[in-house]
Amino acid sequence: MHRSILLSAAARYLMPLMLVFSVFLLIRGHNEVGGGFVGGLVATSALMLYAIALSPAALRKLLPVEPHLLVSAGLISALVSGLIPMLAGKPFMTGLWLKYPIPVIGKVGTPLLFDTGVYLVVIGVVTWILLTLAEE
Amino acid sequence: MSELIWNLILLILSAGLVFAFIRLARGPYLPDRVIALDLISILAMGFILVYAVRFNQPSFLDVAIILAIISFLGTVAFAYYIERRW
Amino acid sequence: MIALPILLPLLFGALCLMAWQNPRWQKAFSLLGTAAQFGAAIWLLIRVQQNGIQHLQVGNWPAPFGIVLVVDLLSAIMVTVAAAVALVVAAYSQAAIDSPRVQYGYYPLFFFLLMGVNGAFITGDLFNLYVWFEVMLMSSFVMLALGGERPQIEGAIKYVILNLLSSTLFLSALGLLYNLAGTLNMADLALRLPGLETGNQITLIAMLFLVAFGIKSAIFPLFFWLPASYHTPPVTITALFSGLLTKVGVYALFRVFTLLFVQDTAYTHTILLIIAGFTMVTGVFGAAAQTDLRRLLSFHIISQIGYLLMGLGMFSQPALAASIYFMVHVILAKTSLFLVAGIVEKMEGSYNLKELGGIYSTRFGVALLFLLPALSLAGLPPLSGFFAKLALVVAGFDLHQYAIVAVGLGVSLMTLYSMTKIWNEAFWKEPKDPIRHAKHKPISSWLWASTAVLVFISLLAGLLAEPLLNLANQAAAQLADPSIYIQAVLGVAP
Repeated sequence: MHRSILLSAAARYLMPLMLVFSVFLLIRGHNEVGGGFVGGLVATSALMLYAIALSPAALRKLLPVEPHLLVSAGLISALVSGLIPMLAGKPFMTGLWLKYPIPVIGKVGTPLLFDTGVYLVVIGVVTWILLTLAEE
Repeated sequence: MSELIWNLILLILSAGLVFAFIRLARGPYLPDRVIALDLISILAMGFILVYAVRFNQPSFLDVAIILAIISFLGTVAFAYYIERRW
Repeated sequence: MIALPILLPLLFGALCLMAWQNPRWQKAFSLLGTAAQFGAAIWLLIRVQQNGIQHLQVGNWPAPFGIVLVVDLLSAIMVTVAAAVALVVAAYSQAAIDSPRVQYGYYPLFFFLLMGVNGAFITGDLFNLYVWFEVMLMSSFVMLALGGERPQIEGAIKYVILNLLSSTLFLSALGLLYNLAGTLNMADLALRLPGLETGNQITLIAMLFLVAFGIKSAIFPLFFWLPASYHTPPVTITALFSGLLTKVGVYALFRVFTLLFVQDTAYTHTILLIIAGFTMVTGVFGAAAQTDLRRLLSFHIISQIGYLLMGLGMFSQPALAASIYFMVHVILAKTSLFLVAGIVEKMEGSYNLKELGGIYSTRFGVALLFLLPALSLAGLPPLSGFFAKLALVVAGFDLHQYAIVAVGLGVSLMTLYSMTKIWNEAFWKEPKDPIRHAKHKPISSWLWASTAVLVFISLLAGLLAEPLLNLANQAAAQLADPSIYIQAVLGVAP
C-alpha cells in the first residue's frame, strides 16, 4: 500500500497544531469547555493522523516513551493531585490553587494536575489500543 | 432583517444536510457514501459556526475547531480502507 | 484515611504499569500491594468497629453535593475479606499465571479490578457506585479474555453483553431515581424517599435495581452468563472473580434494599425471598449435571448467592447478620475450592471428573485442602458453613419462614451430595490412567502455601464463629436502622 505524499506532508504540519490545541483545551478546561479527556482525545487523533500518514512504526519511534508509561504517569499524577491537599491538612482531593496566575498557563492548582493526569491516561490508553490494532 | 438572513442561512445549511443524508443513504457505491459523510461533517461545522455567532455562544466555536481538525481523519481512514479493498 | 482501599490499588496498578517489561517487579509489587491493602483493611475494620461509621467528603464538598465515601461495618468487613482473598490470589498467581498473560498486563488489571471492587464497597453515592462497577467490569472483561483462547473469547462475549445490559439498566434506574428524588447520595436518598408520595414508582425503580444488580450477582433467572464464562479463563482468575465480582453485586443489593428501598418490604423483600429460593435450587441442580470441576463449582457459586439473598429477603437483624457471616464464609470457602481445583489441574492435567482419580492415595495434602472447604460449603460442623446456615435457619424460624428454611436445608443436602461426588470421582476412586497418574508434576510451593493459608483462614472463620457472628450482628444493626447511616453522613437525624 503506497503512502500519499500529500497526506504525509500535511500531517507533519497539522500534528503539532493539533497537539498545541489539545494542550489549550487541557489548560482551559477547569471552568470552561475542554478538559483533560477532550484534550487527550484531540492529542491522540493527532498521533493517529501521523500513524495513518506515515506508519504505526513511525509513530512508535516518534513517541518518547511507551504508551503504558504514559498511563502510569497519568495515574500517579492524578493520585498525587489528590494527596497534595492532605499535606495541607485538607480532605483528600480538595482543590488547591496558587494565589497568582502564571502567564500563558493561567490559574494553576491541583485540579489542573488531576486533569493533566487524565490527559496522559487518555493519550496512553487510546494510543496503546490503536497501535496494537494497527500493528496486527 | 438580519434575523431573516440568519434563519435563511440555517435553512440552506439544513437543506444541504438533508441532501447529503440522502446521498449517504442511497449510495450507490462506498466512495459516494464516504464523500457524503465528509460533506455532512463540513456542513455541521458551518451550522455550529453560524449558531455560535447567531446566539453569541463563543464556546461553541471550539466544537467547530475540533470537528474541523478531526473529521477529515475519518475520511482519510476510509480512503485507506477503500484503497486496500480494491 | 478511609480512601486507602482505593488509593493503594491505584498506586500499585500504576507501578505495575511502569514495570511493564519486568515481570519480576510486577510480581513483587503484587505481593507488596495486596499485603499493604490487607493491613489497611484491618486497620479500617478496627477503626469502624470502635468509632462507628467513618466517612470522607472527597474534595471537601459537603455531603449531598460532593461524592462521599462511607465505611460502615458491612463495607469494612467486605473490604477486609476482599483484601484477604486478593493477597492469597496474588501469592497463588506467582506460580499459576503463565508469562504471556503477565506480559499482557495481568498484574495492572488485577489491581484495577481490586480498585473497582473496593470503590464499590466504600462509596456513599449511587452514581459513584456505577462508576466503580464500570472500573471493575472493564478490568474483568480484559482479564476474562486475557490470553485469547477461543472458549475464553466465547465466554467473555456472553459476559460482556449481559453485564453491559445490566449497566444500562442500572443507569436508567439512576436516571429515574434522580428525577424522582433530586439526589443520588445514598444517605440523602434514604432521608428523602420515605417522604415522597410516589410509592409505586419507587417500587418500580427498586425492581430495576434488582434486575441490574441481579445480573451482576447472578441470581435466578439472570445467571446464565456465569456458568458460560467462569470456567474459561485460568483458574486463578476464576477464583478471584468467584470471590469478589458476584459478591459486589450482592453487596449492592444489600446496600440499596436495606438503606433505600424499605418502604414496601412486604412486596420487594418477598420477591427477594422467592428469588433466593429459586437461585439456590437452580444452582445446585445445575451443578448436579456437571462433570467439569470448574463448571460444577461455578454452579455452586449461584446456589450460594441464594443463601445470601435469603437473609436479605427475610429482613430482620439476625437474618442480615447471618447473611453477612455467610458472605464471609462463602467468599473464603469458594475461593479456596477454586484454588484447589487449580492445583488438581496442575497435577493431573485435567478438570474432568471422569479422567481424575486417586488423588487421596498419592497426595493426601491436596485431598485435605479440598475436603475442608468442601465440607464447610456443604455445612458440616464445626466449619464456618455450618454456623452460617445455622444462623440463617434460626433467623428463619424466628420469622416463621418455614418454606425457605426447608428449601435451604434441602439445597444444603444437595450440596453435600455434589461435594461427595467430586470427592469420590477426583480423590477416592482408582485413577483411570495409573501410569499418567503416577508421574504427576511437582507443584510449586506458592500454590500449596497460598491455598493452605486461605483454607486456614476459612477454618478460623469457623472456629471464631462466635466473635465473627457478633461482628456481623453489629453490622446488621447498622443496616437495620438507616438513621444511623444518615446521621453519620449528613449529621442530621431523620
